[in-house]
Amino acid sequence: MKLLAVTVSIGAAMLVMATAPSYAAGGDAIFKKSCASCHYTDGPAKEKTIADQLAKKGPELWYAGSKFQKAWLGAWLQDPKPIRPLKYNSLTDKNKGDHPKSSAGDAAALTDYLMGLTSPEVKAGVIKPAATPQAKQIFNKKMPCGGCHATEKGGGLSGPSLVGAAKRLNPDWVYAYLANIKHFKPVRDMPDFGSVLNPKDLEAVAAYVATFE
Amino acid sequence: MSRIVMTAAVALGLALSAGGAAQAADTKQVFDFYCAQCHGEKGDGKGINVTKDFATDPRDFTNTTDMAKRSDDDIRGVIKDGGPSISKSPLMPPWGATLTAAEVDGLLVYIRKMCNCKGK
Repeated sequence: MKLLAVTVSIGAAMLVMATAPSYAAGGDAIFKKSCASCHYTDGPAKEKTIADQLAKKGPELWYAGSKFQKAWLGAWLQDPKPIRPLKYNSLTDKNKGDHPKSSAGDAAALTDYLMGLTSPEVKAGVIKPAATPQAKQIFNKKMPCGGCHATEKGGGLSGPSLVGAAKRLNPDWVYAYLANIKHFKPVRDMPDFGSVLNPKDLEAVAAYVATFE
Repeated sequence: MSRIVMTAAVALGLALSAGGAAQAADTKQVFDFYCAQCHGEKGDGKGINVTKDFATDPRDFTNTTDMAKRSDDDIRGVIKDGGPSISKSPLMPPWGATLTAAEVDGLLVYIRKMCNCKGK
């Protein structure tokens, strides 16, 4: 009798394990159902032409786990405030702030799934937040990033806002993006600064962006 | 024989003009994608990024007098290497690692049409 009870409970446990999806698999399923019509997650980058880029309804997310900070992503999915002042791929229409909201449970599952999508181009733990004079000079004067990106001091509208980048972006990703932008976005309306600034300058800019409240 | 030559010439002409039209359409797409954010789709220097925070006025490509002062080499150079290459604002960034030489040449033609001018 005792043996039967143990066998039954082991069997029941195995059944639960087999039928209940893992947390990450849950996020994958939610993504496919609710997000995949605007975002793709199977990298590497697919865009080859301007038309390819313009056909996208939202940013690619195949390196989301390298780009974003987990706590920020989980909170944003529940209360998605605009990051870009303008509608994606538009220079005329404002961002209406109509990104769908996720429940706390879905946001947690989606966050687990998205944070698992990483790029080997991003080396972890290299860039530490720092506002050095060198970085300020590059960011504000030499290659004025504010022409296209808003900061707390204002700025342009065509690029994603950098307000709150300290909590939103992984500084190591910012460096990798600046250094090898074509890997992440082969077609984009941001110049390739990796070819005009040296790696130390790029590190300084990434560290500076990581201080933006 | 002359008829064959004539037909071939017409066909070649059609092919060339079709190619030219396709190239112009491509250049408009390149201009709208990379340049219009600051210079405006019409090239009048009134792009969406030109807010009160923008430290300079982007070049107005429709200003014939002003644009006639710029040589073709100046325009190609400033697209590739940025504003400081001709002692202008760094708000014009370097696009040399992003655009192909053919795209830069296409933009030069497109801009010259906007200003209806030739370089000095």
